[in-house]
Amino acid sequence: MIWYLFIPLAPYLLWLLHAALFSPLPLSYNWRSIWQRFAGTLSTVGAIAIVVMVFVVVLSMAQGVSRAYVRSGREDQVVILRPNSRVEMMSSITLDQARLILTHPLLAQDDHGPLATTDIIVSKQVALSDGSGTLSVTVRGTTPAGTRLRSQVRMLEGRWFQPGLSEAVVPRRMLNRYTGVELGRSFDMAGRSWKVVGVFDGDGSVFDSEIWTDVADLRQAYRRYGMNSSMTVRLRSAADVDAFVKDMDRDVRLKLEAKAEPDYFASLGDAGRPMQILGQIITVILTVGAVFAAMNTMYATVAGRTSEIGTLRAIGFGRRAILASFQWEAILLTSLGGILGAFLSLLFNGTSTGAVSMLTWSDLSYAFTVTPDLMAQGVAFSVLMGIFGGFLPAWRASRIPVTEAMRS
Amino acid sequence: MATGDISVRLRNLAKSYWRGTLEIPVLTGIDLDIPRGGYYALMGPSGSGKTTLLNLIAGIDRPSGGELEVCGHALNRLDDDELAIWRSRKVGFIFQNYNLVPVLNAYENVELPLLLADLGRAERRRRVLRALELVNLTDRMHNYPRQLSGGQEQRVAIARAIVHDPELIVADEPTGALDARNAEEALILLEHLNQELGKTIVLVTHDPKAAQHARFQIHLEKGVLDRTVEVHDRPELPRILPGPEGA
Repeated sequence: MIWYLFIPLAPYLLWLLHAALFSPLPLSYNWRSIWQRFAGTLSTVGAIAIVVMVFVVVLSMAQGVSRAYVRSGREDQVVILRPNSRVEMMSSITLDQARLILTHPLLAQDDHGPLATTDIIVSKQVALSDGSGTLSVTVRGTTPAGTRLRSQVRMLEGRWFQPGLSEAVVPRRMLNRYTGVELGRSFDMAGRSWKVVGVFDGDGSVFDSEIWTDVADLRQAYRRYGMNSSMTVRLRSAADVDAFVKDMDRDVRLKLEAKAEPDYFASLGDAGRPMQILGQIITVILTVGAVFAAMNTMYATVAGRTSEIGTLRAIGFGRRAILASFQWEAILLTSLGGILGAFLSLLFNGTSTGAVSMLTWSDLSYAFTVTPDLMAQGVAFSVLMGIFGGFLPAWRASRIPVTEAMRS
Repeated sequence: MATGDISVRLRNLAKSYWRGTLEIPVLTGIDLDIPRGGYYALMGPSGSGKTTLLNLIAGIDRPSGGELEVCGHALNRLDDDELAIWRSRKVGFIFQNYNLVPVLNAYENVELPLLLADLGRAERRRRVLRALELVNLTDRMHNYPRQLSGGQEQRVAIARAIVHDPELIVADEPTGALDARNAEEALILLEHLNQELGKTIVLVTHDPKAAQHARFQIHLEKGVLDRTVEVHDRPELPRILPGPEGA
């Protein structure tokens, strides 16, 4: 995204690159000049570093959320919902409808029969481990086929739940943030006591935010006889998805809405959006401040080196050489902050956090995911700050009349 | 005098500054010929226009009227870029406050004018070392300006002014910030550059003792050329510098 901002600047950047390679004023001159004003440089680098860190962390949050959804879906699997219900929790499918779907010829089979699960989704308040209250967590009642369809889910400790015993399994990531759902403990839900018998890893998918149990047990507890929330099926191939989706819609006995899993999860991708928007607003405000900090530092630099600029101009260095030199100095200055900020953002990498989905009102766990690409974007962002913050002071430096500069 | 023997030719040169709509004349009707290899001191009270005249001759300011031909180029006809290139080839500058770049060491300061010429690193090094040798500062070449005395800084500045073998050296109060001994040394060095290497030197000073080192003293009064005086009792200096650059 940020790379597009460089496109309109391309001619100027090419010229700067040419200047860096062929300008008579070497970049080492600017590099040393930066360290002449140690305190000023340090404060500007610090300011830019904080902005870039926030920028990368915000992006890494979005990356974490989208990774949670991307990792949840398979191209050849379809989620079936009641029309216009958008999310599994709001949906309902009758057992008759589910039985009819199981006979569809496009369904993939394994040794146990059709790869299809009918799930019930409810939510439960779980206490946060920091004592700050409770959050709504999704509880999924599923079938053995449900665990086979979600191959990214691996049992880490304990075992899968057994039908009829009111047992549950929880994701490891949930244990970092919640209390009362640890392995071996029991929790109350719908008037029953449920025992945690296993801890699984959802590989960063949305299932890392769900407690799983047996669908029949959950149906009984919530008295949802003859009714499920949703159905997930695997088709023989991803190419069959369109035909299957049309069948679900056209069949007068069904009239259900089916979506390829990646599309379904992508439509939920707004879970982290409020925080993301807040982060972006903070980034914009900080960016404006940082650009002015860079500009202020560079104006002070130019003012402090006016006589030096005059000397260089008198000796024969042209206006363009001076412009390029001071523009590069600003870019070097902000890039230092950018590199520092990009590395500081690594402190947040892998940190688990959560956001409440605006659709399900349940908590979605995800991890800040700082990638080399995001770090590169952070440094690129700092280069942009150097270009915008440094241009006017550099322009000013290049336009000072020599005689005026010599008098200063 | 043939045109080729003239380094600086000024005809009816004028310079004014504007304060709003008010014109403030600084120089008017200056006619002057400085021969190649000449050593001229511009003298006069404060505000007489001597630094302005020096700036015009050096091509860092533009006249309001008249003709200005220096080192064979009509400077009025050059644009800013051409003028910068011209200065980089033809003029060496010496300033009152030395004006060395603080983040560059003596060697790098002297090398600056050569960065504008199309020279390889080895050739630049040869010329820088030679210039530093002329000012007797080879042993200080790795020192930064803050590690040098005032006299040494001015000698580095002189080395920078001659390293690219310019035809003209302009010096604005070059001894103004030096004590008597260092001032005398700097002036004698300039004299050697004039006598032995044939450099044309134009020096601005208000110090009569400094002006005694020049061959001619040009007195300015309120922006007008008042008189030109030849310095007669100028001692012939013993030859101390190696042969001319490039030899």
